[in-house]
Amino acid sequence: MSHLFDHHGAENTGYSQPQGLSTTGQATVPKGLLRKNPARWPRLSEPEMVRHYTWLSKRNFGIDTGFYPLGSCTMKHNPRVNEVIAQLPGIADIHPHLPEHHLQGLLSIYYEMQHMLEICAGMDQVTLQPVAGAQGEFTAVRCIQEYFRLRGEDQRTKVIVPDSAHGTNPASAAMAGFEIVEIPSREDGRIDLDALAAVADDTTAAMMITNPNTLGLFEADISAASAIVHEAGGQMYYDGANFNAILGITSPGLMGFDAVHFNLHKTFSQPHGGGGPGSGPIGVKAHLAPFLPGPLAARRTPTAEERIQAVDEHWYHWIEPEHSIGKVQQWHGNAGAVIRCWAYYRRYGNGLTTMSEHAVLNANYLRHAIHREAKRIGVDHLFVDGAETEVAKHEFTLSMQPAKEALGISAMDVAKGLLDRGYMAPTVYFPLVVPECMMIEPTETESKDTLDTFAKHFVEVLTVEPEVLHEAPVTTPVRRVDEVYAARNLCLRHPFDDA
Amino acid sequence: MVDQLPNRGRELEMLREMGFESMEALFADIPAEVRFKGDLPLPEPQSEEEIISDARRLLGANLALGQRPSFLGAGLYRNYVPASVFQLVTRGEFLTAYTPYQPEVSQGMLQAMWEFQTLVSELVGLPIANLSLYDGSTAAAEALTCAVRVHNRKASQPNTVYISALTPPDKRSVMFNYCQGAEIEIRTIDHLADGSLDLESLAEAAGSCGVYLEQPNPLGVLDENLVRVKEIIGEHTALIVGVQPVSLGVVEAPGHYGADIVVGEGQPLGSPVTGGGPLYGIFACSQPYLRLMPGRIVGRSIDVDGNEAYCLTLSTREQHIRRHRATSNICTNETLIALMGAMHMALLGPDGLRVLAERNLQACQAAKEALQATPGVTLVHDAAHFNEFAIAVPGNAAACLAFLDANGITGGFDLSRWYPEHDDRILVTTTDQTSSADIAALAAQLALWSTHLEVKA
Ligand SMILES: Cc1ncc(COP(=O)(O)O)c(C=O)c1O
Repeated sequence: MSHLFDHHGAENTGYSQPQGLSTTGQATVPKGLLRKNPARWPRLSEPEMVRHYTWLSKRNFGIDTGFYPLGSCTMKHNPRVNEVIAQLPGIADIHPHLPEHHLQGLLSIYYEMQHMLEICAGMDQVTLQPVAGAQGEFTAVRCIQEYFRLRGEDQRTKVIVPDSAHGTNPASAAMAGFEIVEIPSREDGRIDLDALAAVADDTTAAMMITNPNTLGLFEADISAASAIVHEAGGQMYYDGANFNAILGITSPGLMGFDAVHFNLHKTFSQPHGGGGPGSGPIGVKAHLAPFLPGPLAARRTPTAEERIQAVDEHWYHWIEPEHSIGKVQQWHGNAGAVIRCWAYYRRYGNGLTTMSEHAVLNANYLRHAIHREAKRIGVDHLFVDGAETEVAKHEFTLSMQPAKEALGISAMDVAKGLLDRGYMAPTVYFPLVVPECMMIEPTETESKDTLDTFAKHFVEVLTVEPEVLHEAPVTTPVRRVDEVYAARNLCLRHPFDDA
Repeated sequence: MVDQLPNRGRELEMLREMGFESMEALFADIPAEVRFKGDLPLPEPQSEEEIISDARRLLGANLALGQRPSFLGAGLYRNYVPASVFQLVTRGEFLTAYTPYQPEVSQGMLQAMWEFQTLVSELVGLPIANLSLYDGSTAAAEALTCAVRVHNRKASQPNTVYISALTPPDKRSVMFNYCQGAEIEIRTIDHLADGSLDLESLAEAAGSCGVYLEQPNPLGVLDENLVRVKEIIGEHTALIVGVQPVSLGVVEAPGHYGADIVVGEGQPLGSPVTGGGPLYGIFACSQPYLRLMPGRIVGRSIDVDGNEAYCLTLSTREQHIRRHRATSNICTNETLIALMGAMHMALLGPDGLRVLAERNLQACQAAKEALQATPGVTLVHDAAHFNEFAIAVPGNAAACLAFLDANGITGGFDLSRWYPEHDDRILVTTTDQTSSADIAALAAQLALWSTHLEVKA
């Protein structure tokens, strides 16, 4: 084990710094504000620091180390050039308050990204300010809220979500002050139009839904759902976490949505960094555009004076929407993530449709291969599809309920067995509507061979003696971690000896 | 041609194995009336070489702060980040991992975040820290809603919080958006002419759910009055202090003068300015706030063999379990940037942080002295400052900044964008990257500006 707080080097062990500019620094600080006890930070030299973090990295699993079929999270390969671009001083070392003539490059990329996302989503205006999917949801429902307030429809205080919705949907709407109305999904995992019609009324502000839904199924009734909500006077909100399944094939605009968020870190690529950062732009139809957070990137013909500094014959500038809800992040969103996603988008261009096709091809192929291998070795009675369907989209669900009933093998056991075989486990126990759920999303950047091999390993796990599988994993840096112990014996920081 | 798809050319083979004859069969469930007609009206795919060359050209049209003397900060600070931080953070095991839902294969990031929690907790003087929120502004906003959740029942001013009247409008706007859903009213507390907090105005905040103040304040003033705030507002009102984390190498940790929650923009530790994002929001608190706080937290635990192991804990506060009753909607956060922060902190150590804070103080002091001696320029606040300070210039601040810009200097922030009542004030920011030559250039150009105006008059 390597522990950061075990390093007690001599004073000034860290990296050395140049002399300051004058002799009076600390002396300017009021006596009553001087720090009495320094932070008990460790003291280590660069060689020790590099080794510590390299050691930690070796105890972590990323896409670069292996197949990462984590459903809903779209763990695809991140082209490395994106990281190189994000370190260029023209993005790493720029300040959001620089005057427009010093930000023409950033503004032009923002404009290009807004425009591209508007085309792909069938929306009229995009803002890149929200920094994650959840923040995009929050921003959009805030815009919807102000839209209704301005129209004098203050009584629209409810947001409808299906029971299969991601937790951020209800959480974001509740944070904006909405009451949540949850409707059950049909037996087959799809939206229940009758249940929707029963709750949609003049108190409905919006319905939030993702399509393909969280089971990886395309909601063929989506236009009918939009019609029900619109007839009741509400707005349709598209959770874009699964947008990677349909890019260039259909769009939220075509399906009748009024607002959408993108998880750029999923659909495009911004490495998820073990938890973040992300980028969660939103797009809206024209009637909601005046409410978006500002500023937005716009462009016009340059004046004679501006022409020398203009990029690509345009002059880019910020604009403020007329009834803007204000800001959801203090600056212009996660610019560094937007740049990476721009580089990713440029790699695909009009071939983004191919990206979605391959995401869907791989998901269906893997689903097929898992069933094929299960039959081959005779374990096909141990799991069922999470939902009946001819084809899945970019992900699919399996229910381990039969294995649970027959052998006491849970979805979690299978997940841990996969860790032992060198894979990241699929998403487990989500969506909540599928018992013993495993949600599998291979992404388009995995080869057929990887999918075939994974399928073999997946079914092999089901042949392991249940008592042995309950012990998995055994090859990982630690074995099953006791989450109950963690919650009962809270230890949220290094316990310094005197504490 | 797109080069990121391993199964290109094998489509038909895979489809046939599934019993399909075309890609179209996989999309048969999407009704015709919602289908895109034709191709996406977007340009052709580009190769890596074309993309990087376009990126260089476009990003080259931006002005990097390091290209010339720069005094623009106002919430983001350009410190040197050691090379090892960048080298380590691009290791694929960290870079390309998702949130550590499977702790057995995520021990590296989990331990790193637990260490981050400890580093932040020690830095701000509070026992608990989460592993980051989006940025300083959302951390401040979530602190306000958290304070209301904790104190509303006993508050004599329920659903009410107070913030410094100097809080920048963009940050206030974020606070408003986060607070309005819970019908929280945000009131302001005034400052005196020297920039310090008006303790009489503060008295009104007693009995509210929380008070948000910054140290240094948004105009760079280090305010000794903050150490008296907690006794005035009392035990049932949360004291929330927003910090510039580097300052805490020299300035007292707010947890040591009564702060219940400390938030801040973590960026100066570990991260470049990056056009304002990704950054990371610091959020730390004392025990009573633990179960109602936002964001992910790592706990140290054991595995089935009794060995030390780490995992996410206290998840029942979070959206994936509590759904609409969650303490926050946050899911994706800023873990990787927080990791950069942890690496920078580890390399600094307590002595390095003190030296870094000292260098920032010295640069600020050197700039103050130079500008004080510059004809036409006056310092707005007679006070101690960290990183930045407000000056008044002859004429109009925007015109003065344009003049400086035309003469090769990024002069600072036009304070009329925050406080429209003054159009002659500039916030001048220095950091450890500010040189004596930068300061001399700024002073010389400001002197020129003053004479330039005199000549015109
Ligand atoms: C379906 C769905 N919606 C919303 C989100 C929230 O997005 P983010 O984590 O970027 O906030 C996620 C991702 O976790 C998701 O899978």
